[in-house]
Amino acid sequence: MAARHLIIGGGTAGMNAIRTIREEEGERSEIVLVSAERPYSRMVLPYYLDRSIAESHVFTATPRVLADWGVKAQVGRRATALDTKANVCTLDDGTTVEYDDCLIATGSSAVKAPVDGADGRGVHSFWTLDEARAVLAEIGPGSHVVMVGAGFIAFTILNSILALGATLTIVEVAPRILPRMIDDAGAKLVEDWLTKHGVRIRTGVKLTGIEDAKGRKRLRFAAGGDILCDVVIMATGIKTNLEWLKGSGVTVNRGVVVDDHLRSSVRNVYAAGDIAEGRDLITGEPAVHAIEPTAQEHGRVAGANMAGKDVGYRGSLIVNIVEVCHLDVASFGAWDDAKAEAASGVKPDRPAYRKLLWRGDRLTGAIILGPSSDIWTTNDVGMLKGLVQSGVSLARFKAHLKRNPFDVKPAFIASKTTSALLPETILGRPSKAPGNTPVAV
Amino acid sequence: MTMPATTTNVLRIHPEKCTGCLRCELACSYMQTGAFHPAKSVIRVSPFEGHTSYAPYTCTQCAEGWCMTACPVGAITINAAGAKDVLDDTCVGCKLCTIACPYGTMFYDPDTRKAFKCNLCGGAPACAEACPTAAITYEATATADWLGEFARERTARVLVGAR
Repeated sequence: MAARHLIIGGGTAGMNAIRTIREEEGERSEIVLVSAERPYSRMVLPYYLDRSIAESHVFTATPRVLADWGVKAQVGRRATALDTKANVCTLDDGTTVEYDDCLIATGSSAVKAPVDGADGRGVHSFWTLDEARAVLAEIGPGSHVVMVGAGFIAFTILNSILALGATLTIVEVAPRILPRMIDDAGAKLVEDWLTKHGVRIRTGVKLTGIEDAKGRKRLRFAAGGDILCDVVIMATGIKTNLEWLKGSGVTVNRGVVVDDHLRSSVRNVYAAGDIAEGRDLITGEPAVHAIEPTAQEHGRVAGANMAGKDVGYRGSLIVNIVEVCHLDVASFGAWDDAKAEAASGVKPDRPAYRKLLWRGDRLTGAIILGPSSDIWTTNDVGMLKGLVQSGVSLARFKAHLKRNPFDVKPAFIASKTTSALLPETILGRPSKAPGNTPVAV
Repeated sequence: MTMPATTTNVLRIHPEKCTGCLRCELACSYMQTGAFHPAKSVIRVSPFEGHTSYAPYTCTQCAEGWCMTACPVGAITINAAGAKDVLDDTCVGCKLCTIACPYGTMFYDPDTRKAFKCNLCGGAPACAEACPTAAITYEATATADWLGEFARERTARVLVGAR
């Protein structure tokens, strides 16, 4: 059993791994954490941005908590090289850390559109806490904010920007918004809803440059029509932080290739979260799922295996949810599977849309849009996830659901989905509550 | 991974005894929010067979606790009754729990911007106390799928009506 664990990256995957090692291990091991930033939750940065929580709320482990867990934390340090033959990791200050096993959990970073002026003053990404601080310092009532990119990340801070009293324009190079989260029909509905709520949206426009304009910013586009604004947020994508693994001997494809135990091609090196290319639960194919739930599950499974348990992971499920101006937008699984049998429904009198995707009698993907004030929207979000996750046979209900994709609950209950789900756990045991991580004595 | 069910006090549903009176929803909402407001109840009575039979549906307090493990800020914990419980001061309202719970038993209150769920009223569930026919009991048994078979037998009419 490994006595010295090295966790590289203090994000969701790394912190879940640490907690799980402490929960699962028989004998107290040494844990070293190397993290470029203090551990915090990216998920809650939008709530820091709209000032509904204090900055202290974003941290997932304070130095005191890390000390309680017996973690030797090297915060502010980046890993620069991994020697998997010598079991040594080199850090950016030239120091080295030896390990018996290690977890690669260095996540991903924001990428700005490669245009002139992208690195100028008042042009931000919104990915890290530092970036959130910078954005927060510049937005106030009456600010005009332009968001470049209309993907999931952009949409997570849309409410916050409006709540700060700013006006918002979204520009997107693709012909529609949310191209990697929902289908065309859903995107149209969201776009109409946002327009009704005062958000200006320009799709199909190519940004060519950003210039300073008397203390403001001017955005230029290939087809003309400049936009003058105060703050630019570039939500133009993320990239996996893989560069430092060159020469490590770890097999990398789109991410670090891992098996069902989250092990890389090197037996004592694990990978988890945004950087790992593991199994997709629905397709069974290798995939990089840069989402919070995957980082949590990957981190826990890797942690358990590093602690000497034998925990197999059946794969991660794509789930996305975002609320914009009180409209819930969610998608699951293979929602964009062109080969699936699909049925959709829309309520023309209110913003409600469903799309269910089938492979045989199983639901393999779903899209759901609805007012967040509707209880059934929230409940159906969960049940659709349960149907996709469990893969129960919906044979009896398929025709009914194809006719009425809004009537999920009877199908969920009568198909005994609860029976299928109850025995499911990620670690093969009941989960422990946060705060119950064993502390050093 | 699978595991044997554990035994603590749980809400056991006896669907054949439910009359559809909705007292559980009133009691639940009053206990959880201070108002008689079934729309904010975390136990929901579902109709079957064209509203000729009913059954209440609520959180099973599953072993995985998908809501709890999904919460990015540790706002969902296990209370003294063994129920997964939302800590209001910690919850930021990100809704990750609502999409993580595969049972559809997480709720979100747009007024408070917090998630909420069945917390077994801390060990004295108001729904069980309010139920006049003992269709909801609070007892030491393994949690289970209380409604599946009942619902399976009572959805034929829905399906016929759909054709």
